[in-house]
Amino acid sequence: MVHCRLRLLKETVKMTNNRYKKPVSFISEEEMKRRKREVIISVVIVAVVALLTFAENRIIHFGAGIPVSNTILMFILININLLLLILLIFLVFRNLVKLLFDRKRKVMGTKLRTRLVVAFIALSLLPTIVLFFFSINFITTSIEFWFNVPVEQALENSLNVGRSLYWHSEESSRFFMEKISYQITTKGLLDTKNLKSLSRYIQVVQREFNFNAIEIYTNNADRITFALASELEDKPFGVLSADNLQKEIPQKGVRTVSEIIPSGELIRTIGTIPFGSKPANSEAFIVLARLMPPDLANSMSSISRGFEEYQQIKLLKTPIQVTYYITLSIVALLVIFCSVWFGFYMAKTITIPIRVLAEGIRRVKEGDLSVNVPMVADDEIGSLVDSFNKMTKDLRIGRDQLELSARLLQEQNIEIENRRQYMEIVLKNVSAGVITLDSGGFISTMNKSAEKMLNLKSEDILHKSYKKLLDGPLLELAEEVMDNLRISRNDAVELPLKLTIDGRPMSFIMHVNALKDDADRHMGIVMVFDDLTELEKAQRMAAWREVARRIAHEVKNPLTPISLSAQRLKRKYSDRLKESVFDECTQTIADHVDLIRNLVDEFSSFARFPTANPKPCDLPPIIEETLALYKEGHHRINFEFNITDEIPSLNLDRQQIKQAMINLVDNAIASIRNVGRIVITLTHDPILKIVRIEIADDGAGISDEGKTRLFEPYFSTKKAGMGLGLTIVSTIVSDHNGRISVQDNKPKGAKFVIELPV
Amino acid sequence: MALLFGLIFFVQSLAFAQNAMLTNIIVTNTRDDLLVYLKVEGAFIEKMKKAILSGVPTTFSFYIRFYQARNFWFDNEVEDIKVTNTIKYDNLKEEFIVNRSWEKSGPQVTRSFDEAQNLMKEVDSLKVVPLKQLEKGGHYQIRAKAKLSKVTLPFYLHYVFFFVSLWDFETDWYTVDFVY
Repeated sequence: MVHCRLRLLKETVKMTNNRYKKPVSFISEEEMKRRKREVIISVVIVAVVALLTFAENRIIHFGAGIPVSNTILMFILININLLLLILLIFLVFRNLVKLLFDRKRKVMGTKLRTRLVVAFIALSLLPTIVLFFFSINFITTSIEFWFNVPVEQALENSLNVGRSLYWHSEESSRFFMEKISYQITTKGLLDTKNLKSLSRYIQVVQREFNFNAIEIYTNNADRITFALASELEDKPFGVLSADNLQKEIPQKGVRTVSEIIPSGELIRTIGTIPFGSKPANSEAFIVLARLMPPDLANSMSSISRGFEEYQQIKLLKTPIQVTYYITLSIVALLVIFCSVWFGFYMAKTITIPIRVLAEGIRRVKEGDLSVNVPMVADDEIGSLVDSFNKMTKDLRIGRDQLELSARLLQEQNIEIENRRQYMEIVLKNVSAGVITLDSGGFISTMNKSAEKMLNLKSEDILHKSYKKLLDGPLLELAEEVMDNLRISRNDAVELPLKLTIDGRPMSFIMHVNALKDDADRHMGIVMVFDDLTELEKAQRMAAWREVARRIAHEVKNPLTPISLSAQRLKRKYSDRLKESVFDECTQTIADHVDLIRNLVDEFSSFARFPTANPKPCDLPPIIEETLALYKEGHHRINFEFNITDEIPSLNLDRQQIKQAMINLVDNAIASIRNVGRIVITLTHDPILKIVRIEIADDGAGISDEGKTRLFEPYFSTKKAGMGLGLTIVSTIVSDHNGRISVQDNKPKGAKFVIELPV
Repeated sequence: MALLFGLIFFVQSLAFAQNAMLTNIIVTNTRDDLLVYLKVEGAFIEKMKKAILSGVPTTFSFYIRFYQARNFWFDNEVEDIKVTNTIKYDNLKEEFIVNRSWEKSGPQVTRSFDEAQNLMKEVDSLKVVPLKQLEKGGHYQIRAKAKLSKVTLPFYLHYVFFFVSLWDFETDWYTVDFVY
């Protein structure tokens, strides 16, 4: 039995350990531990069995009537029951402790498990308790009902009836016995000589008083005579033993013994003669017998048996109740523990998949999409796990695709960025100015060339509408261009534009293109403009040189004959006419011819202006020399010469530069009517690598139109001037790879700026 | 659960509180036989009396073992006797029938419960062994004990309520040594 139980427990232990067991061919440390544990468990179980057996032995006393085999069987059953109960309790408490620990450690799923366990316990406790108390109540009521008073009373009454039957029988026998005893004593029938009379007398009495038998014994317990009724005549009729007769007779004088014989119960009432004497003092014993019919005897005995059984059952009332209570309690406990254990089991089967799932979700949350939760059940949770696995798979595929797209997008972005940067660099470095406007007329981009050409900063005008930035004729022009682009089918408009920027006349050729997307929607416009100022100046210069050469060539030829003709007329006719008018006219012709020749020579020299021959020389002495020429002659004009920086030596054609300076100072003096001030400032810009000469006067100034044409030949504001002075200056500066520009001098006058490269 | 066990142990310890003992163990002899007189005291408790009055037949068993004492060896068992006294109450006639297995005269009937109890308690002039079996000057020992051996409940309930026979008693072994 013990062996079986051990095996059973080992199986249980094995079952619980199987999850952790690894198949090993040798005795590993784990296996050793397991064996050790099994040995400990075996020892504990043996001890428990021994203890239980001892306890049972002390508690339970099997009556002698119960066979030994039954006793052993009972022990086995009780032990198994107790062991199972203990095992169950152990499992339940183990799970309970584990749950508490898990709750403390805040293991995932413990809350749900606790809730489920509590729910199961509550669900099982409630009906069990209700049923338990109902059963207890039911048993108590039932037992009370079985032992209710009417039954007991009826039984007792029946018994009393039976008792009174015996009592009456005894009483009647006593009554007659007293009479018979008296007769026998008074008539002296006990004498040996009267033996026949005695026999006759008791036969008569037997018949008269309807006794079934009358016996007379001597005081030595020898039967003298007896009389039998017909029912007993042919049946054996034994004598009473001496002990029975000699026994003490109670106060009332008779004693009754009964005996079961085949024809019924024979009730013999024993008395003494003389009546009431003690057996030792008596002369003889008289026995009156009545035969109770078998049916009545059986009824009497069944009444007696029934009453006895009832009394005995009543005696067992409390033990029966206790037994029922114990049995019920054990069953209730078993049910509760079973349900608790089942609750744990169910909670485990529900929470373990949830925990596994939660673990999976946690890993997914941390970004591990390779999670694959193993299928733990084939129920709804199983399908949930399946869905979760599918979802993670889809997510994984999605993420891979997303990563691929992101990579592609990144590559594209890099390419676009490269292109953008390339475009920006191109735009930045392109000589043409580029300005773009969006569909609303707001300026969206502006390149460096445009900033430089227009002398603007992009941050000042970006994201501003052209309508706000422009005004006057320029706004009208812009509106016209916009309308033109909108109305006409042409996407491009080309127009020349002349502007004065910071007092400098600028000439641009502007290309305005409408931007349209693939769906032919208007996206804005792009303006590309080239600075044609220098180009135009050069073209104009070349044209004027050609004109000058031709004029010089065409005009110079007729001058000599005119001059010679005038000299011949003077020589031949002066003396003859003696007319002063004639002399004056010829002289005027000769003078004006000379004037025209000078003029033509000037043209000729402009047309044949020698190319510069630059050599390294210092600039300030040249300026100082130039100023020295004028300081003496113009006392009312204040000349200033400022050098702010250290001026490096430059590659210059000293003669030409001096010519240019003379022309400029000459112009400035001419613009000042009476009193004035001429300031020459020399600066060096090491970043741009230029030397800047500024000649500012506070004279009349130059109109905007004049500014644009100032450097053209034959443009002069002076009456006697040919308008070639500034043209020559401009040519010299150009030949030195420099720039000349004219600005308004604040608050009045004009300012010429020459920039020469270092 | 522990409460349940405790309860059972407690009830059980109550049951064991009754101390039945053998008194008046007298070993004597007639001309031919060795006789023993015994009396058990403390056997009748109220519950048992109640049970008897309810008609439960109750049997006391008396075990008498007669040994010849031997030095350096187990005692030699000469005789092993078991006798029983059974009492049964007849409700109808209100009398006790005591049947003593060692008495040849048959059951004794009495209306007095005290008398019936005395009859149950005693074993009188029980012949243990013929004197001729004994050696003169030999060391002998008589061991005796009494116990309640049987309570017969109706409907065979004693098979079910085997652990509720709370009025059980069993005396220790009593010994009387003597030299013949």
